Amino acid sequence: MVTISTEPRLPAVVRHLFPAFAGLPLGPLLTLSLRSLAGRQPRLFDRLGEHRTACYFIDPVDLGFAFTVVPDAERSIVRVVRKSEAATSSVQIRGPILTLLSLLDGTLDGDALFFSRIISISGRTEAVLALRNTIEDAELRPADLLGLRGALARLVDTGILGALGVARQMADRNSRREAPEA
Amino acid sequence: MTSGRMELVCPAGTPATLRAAVQAGADAVYCGFRDETNARNFPGLNFSGEELAEGVRFAHDHGSKVLVAINTFARVNDVGLWKKAADTAAECGANAIIAADIAVLDHVAKNHKQIRLHLSVQAAAATPEAIRFYADSFGIRRVVLPRVLSVQEIAALNRAIDVETEAFVFGGLCVMIEGRCYLSSYATGKSPNLNGVCSPPEMVSYDDEPNGTAARLSGFTIDRYEPGEPVGYPTLCKGKFKAGGKTSYLFEDPVTLNAGGMIAGLKAAGVTALKIEGRQRGKGYVTEVVRAFRKAVDAVEQGGDAIEIDRILAGQSEGSRQTAGAYSKKWR
Repeated sequence: MVTISTEPRLPAVVRHLFPAFAGLPLGPLLTLSLRSLAGRQPRLFDRLGEHRTACYFIDPVDLGFAFTVVPDAERSIVRVVRKSEAATSSVQIRGPILTLLSLLDGTLDGDALFFSRIISISGRTEAVLALRNTIEDAELRPADLLGLRGALARLVDTGILGALGVARQMADRNSRREAPEA
Repeated sequence: MTSGRMELVCPAGTPATLRAAVQAGADAVYCGFRDETNARNFPGLNFSGEELAEGVRFAHDHGSKVLVAINTFARVNDVGLWKKAADTAAECGANAIIAADIAVLDHVAKNHKQIRLHLSVQAAAATPEAIRFYADSFGIRRVVLPRVLSVQEIAALNRAIDVETEAFVFGGLCVMIEGRCYLSSYATGKSPNLNGVCSPPEMVSYDDEPNGTAARLSGFTIDRYEPGEPVGYPTLCKGKFKAGGKTSYLFEDPVTLNAGGMIAGLKAAGVTALKIEGRQRGKGYVTEVVRAFRKAVDAVEQGGDAIEIDRILAGQSEGSRQTAGAYSKKWR
């Protein structure tokens, strides 16, 4: 039996825009963003409890690199890593990048995605559950991660979420084209 | 027969889900604290005292009530955590406390007379005698009915008691006598009824193996899934086991209770409130299920039929299969 994910994957042309191992300073930028968020919303990280020091390996399967995240509030660390570095983490979460982003903004339900095998998890189940519940409650918008407020925040949210919506439609069309006949 | 409008009681595992449930049309939401005083003690779930106070304010501003589940059984000689939870719920302005342990019921009855007491399903009170005992001793105003009664039995029960009844209409089912499950305790050393967690996640693993993914609890293989096959959360009662040379769901099929088509019958049987299970579920699930039941309950209250609730909620069911459970006992 062959596993066929029906979730949208990035078109090949977009995938090739990203190098196999991102040289962009994504890690430091995301670290800064997460620490800044912790400064503004400290209660958000309380929900993780003891699992805030866990190392989460996030693997967007349609990109050539992965992330490790230690969501320890103002001591949070995000690193861009090679896919081979999964073994050093407490938890591994894998799925198409647009699906993982949808989890972050609450567009999609994490339980449903896991139970239908669109995303996969391994490692410490309790740490995954704590992260899932924390993200569920956080109701994060792109502007929250960027530290924006007011009209500018609304503008940025509209722009980024709109762009993500278009990207999902494109990826959906792409996935349908690439899926083999059942 | 209940004279008023039936109340829709909905789950809230987090403050965001509480707001979602209220906005989707819940008459009341039920929730618990972030400790072992409630039966959904999972990592990242539940409320701090501060969050509960904010949740109560939000719910009341929108015309909804908040019921706080303090429904596990207190440890021997250590009821302090449970009493403190009840005190905090009362301070936060909750409308009711849902409890099962008689020490907790007694504490609330003596110290917080302004707050309603609801008898949790964990108490497994299913006879007029048992319910009258709790009503006479602690002044309970409502009993959450165990999921073992038919609609006819509920009607007979309501004729014999003076307190309100609340019946589950959607969500997960337990096979054991409610409040007395030892399966998870046997496998993990943690009790759903004492620690508030069935199949604790720190003992759950999903292992990819050559013949599929094995879902395990504390090392026991509960189920095995083909690649690509939908998986479930491994609870022993819904595990697949081999017995007598045949592999099957030995205790209980992984199905979801859906009594959406029985709302009118439950109303006629005198049920006051309809309860949706699922404090561990996310906002999307809660919003969809609450909206569907809101429409169904409103339709029944206006004298019509429940909407096509089965079709709407098909995607939200465990294993995509539904049952009316004991409400329509065909085996008696």
